[in-house]
Amino acid sequence: MKTILVVEDDKNQLLLYEQELSMEGYNIITARDGLEAIKKVKEHLPDLIVMDITMPKMSGIEAMGKILSEHKNIPVIINTAYTSYKDDFMSWSADAYIIKSSDMKELKDKIKELI
Amino acid sequence: MVPFILKDNADNIINNLADALDAGLAVLDKDLTILWANRMLSAMLNLQYDPVGRKCREVYSCECQDSRHCSVLQALSTGKKVCHEIQLVTEKGERKYIKNITTPIRDEKNNVTHLFKLSLDSTQQEEKVHRLSLLRKLAELMEGTLQIDRLLYLILTCVTAGPALGFNRARLFLVEKERNIIYGKMAVGPSSLEEANKIWREIADKYESLEDLAKASEDTYRYDTPLHMATRLMAFPLTDEKEIIVLCVKSKKTILERNAFSNPNIDKKFINDIDANEFVCVPLVVKDKAIGVICADNVYNRKPITDEQVELLSIFANRAALAISNAEAYRKLGKKNRQLKETREKLIRSERLAVIGNMAAYIAHEIRNPLVTIGGFARILLREYADYKKVKQNTEVIIEEVNRLEKILANIMDFSKPIETVKTMIQINELLENTCSLMEPYLKSVHIQLDKKFNSTISKIIADQTQLKQVFLNLIKNAAESMPQGGKLTIETMMEDECIQIDITDTGEGMSPEVMQNLFVPFFTTKVDGTGVGLAVSQKIIDDHNGFIKIKSVVKEGTTFSIFLPVKKDMA
Repeated sequence: MKTILVVEDDKNQLLLYEQELSMEGYNIITARDGLEAIKKVKEHLPDLIVMDITMPKMSGIEAMGKILSEHKNIPVIINTAYTSYKDDFMSWSADAYIIKSSDMKELKDKIKELI
Repeated sequence: MVPFILKDNADNIINNLADALDAGLAVLDKDLTILWANRMLSAMLNLQYDPVGRKCREVYSCECQDSRHCSVLQALSTGKKVCHEIQLVTEKGERKYIKNITTPIRDEKNNVTHLFKLSLDSTQQEEKVHRLSLLRKLAELMEGTLQIDRLLYLILTCVTAGPALGFNRARLFLVEKERNIIYGKMAVGPSSLEEANKIWREIADKYESLEDLAKASEDTYRYDTPLHMATRLMAFPLTDEKEIIVLCVKSKKTILERNAFSNPNIDKKFINDIDANEFVCVPLVVKDKAIGVICADNVYNRKPITDEQVELLSIFANRAALAISNAEAYRKLGKKNRQLKETREKLIRSERLAVIGNMAAYIAHEIRNPLVTIGGFARILLREYADYKKVKQNTEVIIEEVNRLEKILANIMDFSKPIETVKTMIQINELLENTCSLMEPYLKSVHIQLDKKFNSTISKIIADQTQLKQVFLNLIKNAAESMPQGGKLTIETMMEDECIQIDITDTGEGMSPEVMQNLFVPFFTTKVDGTGVGLAVSQKIIDDHNGFIKIKSVVKEGTTFSIFLPVKKDMA
């Protein structure tokens, strides 16, 4: 079973991703901020990361940079409410950039495509 | 005196000589009775009777009733020549100035026996002095006028006003460097002699002095007169030195043309435009550069232009030129000022747009997140409605997220709606005490020690209690949130000049300069669940109280927010 790390500071949203992605047959681990994400990557070596951007302590973009410098092969999907970060070249190292939506089809399709 | 001629003849000759002189002559005895006078004296003093046999004072209508000031008595007592000036008003109402010189006549023993009085008409000279002083006053007035059109009109008014220079018409031409031309800017004068008389009568009735007229000139200038319109159509390239106006600019010298109609050197079109046989052109020179020309004539009364008029006009033109160049400099300054203002407004607009941008991003983000959650769980509900436990759990999340959305909307509304103000006399210390008692349980729970240093001598102020309480709550909450590991919160009040100063100091994380810069920008936040309106609203409230907020912050050490609220003495 593939493991997905979902990084999201909003607890209800995290609950939603857990429920939805578990249904798809993935093993879900979670982190509430960038720092926790780095820690969880080390512990679990996930097959894919779904990353929010605006989070306390460390932003998703900064965390992604740190993670990718050590684990180049883990695909990262940026999942954010903002469209503006698409212009930030730092976000370009992600494998996909998705604007959050209650219809999770796009996210699920991208995950399937990447792992 | 005249030994070779018979006495009768001598009298005749002397009388004829005396009458031919352009001066009044009289001989007085020691009682100041006139023994002899020439005819000119009667004419000069407008006498309807023979002055011989009358008293000096009566004939000369002296104002010196006190004998100590009488010049004739002075000459008699001192034996020296004494001058004295009198003013008369003629039947026509014209003012006349007479200068009298009294000389004692002595006998062989050197005793004063008679007095000889010489009277000279000094009206012209006096009028010149009067005009010069009037022109000086007007020049001062001009220099205080910075609005260019008003100034130009004032200048032309002075050139045409009877008591000043008294020309019939005046036109003003200005040099325009960019186009290398000189063009007609403005003109003052009637279009007929009748109109001229009417205008000056009206003006004399309406305005007591020329200064009054000058002050009113702003409203009285008419742009629709034929003279003004014809002048506005006149323009000459500065390269065309055959034109008399251009010549005046280039030579920087006054040109007096007495017979333009028969002068072959003057352009016929110009004569046609200017429509006068005799006119004078005076350059307006500043710092050795001619900035324009005043052209004046006496086309209606056909009085020859006098040398004195030309001289006064030249003097006046120098002052006028200076005033024009000052006004021009002022206009340029005003233009720069306007540009500055426009740039500032543009900046404010773009800042507003930035606020709107911030707001839109904030709303997009804050609304999208709960919507994603609500929509996501609603879809799960639809799919898995049979799982009672899951339905309950997911519905609770949906309700929670809807509450969050409502709170976000309320915040946005709070920020954008005008704040209603109810101001009363309040004691800040009491209000702070009250606010602290609300916050104390919370502060205790997050391990923050509260230190209150209230100065009991601070004045009462007129303020909105509810609004200030909101500010204090915001700042205390911010301070507490900057100390997640606990710390010390100090609230201090004091008097500072005419203000009450309230310091709220934490020992928290402090702020970077970048954060400090955006602190009061609406919808800017560093908090996870912050809305970015707390400080923006706080600042708006303090602004409404005519106060201000100062911030001092050191990263890793802490922050002090100082609120200053002015105390109005008359209200306290």
